[in-house]
Amino acid sequence: MPATDNQGSFLNRISIRRNQVVSMDGNHEQELEDLELFQKHVADRFADLLSQSEDTLGDGLLSISWLRKLLDVFLCCEAEYKAILLLGRDPSQISKPPLDKLVPEFHDRVVKALDVCNAVSHAVETVRNYQKLAEIAVAALEQRPIGDGQVRRAKKALNSLMILLEEKEGSNHKWTERAWSFGRRSTNATTSSGKDRATSASQFRSLSWSMSRGWSAAKQIQAMSSNLVAPRGGESSSPALPVYIMSTITVFVMWALVAAIPCQERNGLLTHFPVSKQLGWAQSIIALQEKIAEEWKKKKEKNRLAGLLEETQRIERLGLSLIEFADSFQFPPDADRLDEVAVHVAELGETCKKMEKGLVPLQQQIREVFHRIVRSRTEVLDLLDQGGKVTASTM
Amino acid sequence: MEPPEDKRTPLDEAEGIILRWDSTASEEAREKMIFDSDRNEVDRYLQAVDEIQRSLSSTTINSESSSNSDESGLNSTIRIAMARLEDEFRNILLSHTAPLEAESMSFSSDPSSSTHSHGQIDDHEDEGEHDQGLKLDLNMSLKLAEQREEREEGEGEGGDSVADGAGSSRSSYRTTSSIREIDLVPSDAIYDLRSIAERMIAAGYLRECIQVYGSVRKSAVDASFRRLGIEKLSIGDVQRLEWDQLEAKIRRWIRAAKVCVRVLFASEKKLCEQIFENLGTDIDDACFVETVKGPAIQLFNLFEAISISRRSPEKLFKILDLHDALMVLIPDIDVVFEAKTAESIRIQAAEILSRLAEAARGILSEFENAVLREPSRVPVPGGTIHPLTRYVMNYISLISDYKQTLIELIVSKPSSGTRYGSDPTTPDMEFADELEGKTPLALHLIWVIVILQFNLEGKSKHYKDTSLAHLFMMNNVHYIVQKVKGSPELREMIGDDYLKKLTGKFRQAATNYQRATWVRVLYCLRDEGLHVSGSFSSGVSKSALRERFKSFNAMFEDVHRNQAQWLVPDAQLREELRISISEKLLPAYRSFLGRFRTHIESGKHPENYIKYSVDDLETAVLDFFEGYPVSQHIRRRSS
Repeated sequence: MPATDNQGSFLNRISIRRNQVVSMDGNHEQELEDLELFQKHVADRFADLLSQSEDTLGDGLLSISWLRKLLDVFLCCEAEYKAILLLGRDPSQISKPPLDKLVPEFHDRVVKALDVCNAVSHAVETVRNYQKLAEIAVAALEQRPIGDGQVRRAKKALNSLMILLEEKEGSNHKWTERAWSFGRRSTNATTSSGKDRATSASQFRSLSWSMSRGWSAAKQIQAMSSNLVAPRGGESSSPALPVYIMSTITVFVMWALVAAIPCQERNGLLTHFPVSKQLGWAQSIIALQEKIAEEWKKKKEKNRLAGLLEETQRIERLGLSLIEFADSFQFPPDADRLDEVAVHVAELGETCKKMEKGLVPLQQQIREVFHRIVRSRTEVLDLLDQGGKVTASTM
Repeated sequence: MEPPEDKRTPLDEAEGIILRWDSTASEEAREKMIFDSDRNEVDRYLQAVDEIQRSLSSTTINSESSSNSDESGLNSTIRIAMARLEDEFRNILLSHTAPLEAESMSFSSDPSSSTHSHGQIDDHEDEGEHDQGLKLDLNMSLKLAEQREEREEGEGEGGDSVADGAGSSRSSYRTTSSIREIDLVPSDAIYDLRSIAERMIAAGYLRECIQVYGSVRKSAVDASFRRLGIEKLSIGDVQRLEWDQLEAKIRRWIRAAKVCVRVLFASEKKLCEQIFENLGTDIDDACFVETVKGPAIQLFNLFEAISISRRSPEKLFKILDLHDALMVLIPDIDVVFEAKTAESIRIQAAEILSRLAEAARGILSEFENAVLREPSRVPVPGGTIHPLTRYVMNYISLISDYKQTLIELIVSKPSSGTRYGSDPTTPDMEFADELEGKTPLALHLIWVIVILQFNLEGKSKHYKDTSLAHLFMMNNVHYIVQKVKGSPELREMIGDDYLKKLTGKFRQAATNYQRATWVRVLYCLRDEGLHVSGSFSSGVSKSALRERFKSFNAMFEDVHRNQAQWLVPDAQLREELRISISEKLLPAYRSFLGRFRTHIESGKHPENYIKYSVDDLETAVLDFFEGYPVSQHIRRRSS
């Protein structure tokens, strides 16, 4: 990952310069300069993301590879933020206004982000489940000559997939149908075995969540963004600004993850959080946010909340067209139609491969973000500790 | 070329059987399960599937010879068979999904909230006054003691599978694997499952098979989780919980983790092997990981949530318990999750272990900080042992109980001196020769005692009476020494050299006390100034002598009244101190009385001047350091 490499060298640079100036009077100037640079880097990185989001070959907005880049950007910004916040700063400054209020608020926010990371990482398993079902369809439809058996096998997998994808928040009844080959037993829950199945299906639903009942990704994001206010007047420069920038990035990244991956309770997910349009560094973030929000609204109208992950959407689109094919399938198949289907199957197969390759690293990267957040938080807390100015911390 | 009379080929017959069980076709097929019925039917069905499969694979080889429609028909049939087998597979699995029985969960019978009586703290309950502003929860002392007992009980727990050797208590935590697989599914059912899996895999329906397997077993694991009391909690939830509640949960989680890894997950793994082993490459692993990955991570997340919760001293021991529990489990985790695809689980367990270790280190340093900065300023009445001293000493004796773990975790020396530099608000610790060769942990403990004393010295300055300040230091340092001596582990780490130093310190405080109080009093009993020079008759100034007796009486009375309210809680120390006082006071008074009594007795109202006999004084000294309440009239001991 080239982005991560950049970050290393960048950090070196900043820390060396800092050490040089730390004893000099130009400290404040240096700080302003660093801050300037930080804003520029944030702007550049998100501009990159914005331009990649235009990609139409499957690596665009909210694709696995785009999300991975987004997480890279997060890690880079976070490293830089930490350098600005901590290097060469007297720890006691953190316990004085405005940081005494902002830093605990920030920590509050990142602890919420940790839960989002866990929920999303867990929900990636659901996406893997989509992939698994799509793979069955691919395996069946790749066979030549194609026969009724393969088509029906593919259709069954795709139907299960669609049920999964269509699931609305809190519904679980459809699992019962999915679980059984012919959808026949769901109507017959009176036999003891039927009852077992129904129960197990509803259990399975709760299984797919990792958090406590009532935990909601949407609310979590809401809470993270609730006290996000741009610093004003005298506070608008260092050190309040970097905290605000990093907060905004954190909220945005978590929000994008939640929008993409179907994690626990996304009902009422924000489609907008206030980022001041005057801020230069925020332009691309705002643009991306609008694009994602647009997508989200579209999906919501269709009541499909499987997540905006590009690959998921592609699977859904291809899956629907293949179901259509399967429904009208008659032996012997029409050759033209078969060619068309082959293209779709190949694309679906390609998408599955992409998921197979990308989902685990994505999960690992989410985990890395988790680690990084924890580590930074610990470092700041330690610093406060050492300063001996431990306020009754709420962190 | 060979249409014989009997039109029904084995293939036709096989197709017939499979179509008969097509549940889309007949009511009977829909209602009944093959594997619930006659074994012969089961065998017939499986043979039929094999027959079709055989024929399918031979047609694939020479596909030219068979017509497309034939093959399509067979394909259709095999699909029907596979759908059927998938349902059968699910049904067999479902009928064996009862969660683990209580007896399998060897650690589950836990009267968890057994003995929590936070009633009394200790003999001297003056916390009310002192609580304000204390950063440390000094009321923890008792809890710490409880925790200790609990831990000792805990050592024996789970004896059935953890080979807790008696004796060296902590070493038992290093025992390795105690994986105990149980049969989740009876062997005849396993045989059936395996027969079905074999056919599904042969027909290329592995993915479907894994899907079914995973979905059923996941909910079985989930049910066992709930039975074990493992909750789904977010980090936010954990941070919001009161520590008391959390402690109880942690105890449960530790037990649950052991059962999960050693029994639950291990048994799931075994089940996968029983069904899928040798049917294909790593299918058993794939199924196993699919089933338990989510639950395993969920379990570890709980541990992780604790490790990143706000650090505060009272959490240290539960964190160490978690750390130890996880550390003992790691070898088992590595075995159970040996599969390549389960790597992330192993990694996460290791990460959380190191995070717990880090938390423990962080808390220790937080504790040191808190001891140093503990801000209460109201002097304890009577100069007795400060709650802080009790708390800190209980705390570090408990630390010494966790010695084995902590020695490995604490690898750097305390950051005395270096960190604070010439800061006058922190003590210096000379790493003198006597501290050579000590473990970092021992140095930390000594450092804690150093900063405790430093803090206490600061507190002693708030006594208006310097004698009382010395008595306070004496009491507290003596208590420190007693606590160290009372714990073999602690004593070994602190070492006799440092203990000697501490002993010297409270002796010095005792001496200082005696000086501060008694030099003044004994000064009244000196000869100088009483003899009137040039006088032959008596040579003693009566008026001066009367003044002396009066001031002695007043002073002693004052000291007596005051110091009877003071407290030396340790009986032996109290006794020694009184003896030491008597040894100085009584001979001096006796001899003074011997020399000058006649001068007073020959005058008027001698009882106004000689208020005490030697015996009176001796008796009065017995009132010292008893901690009588201010209001209570001091007992007059009449002999």
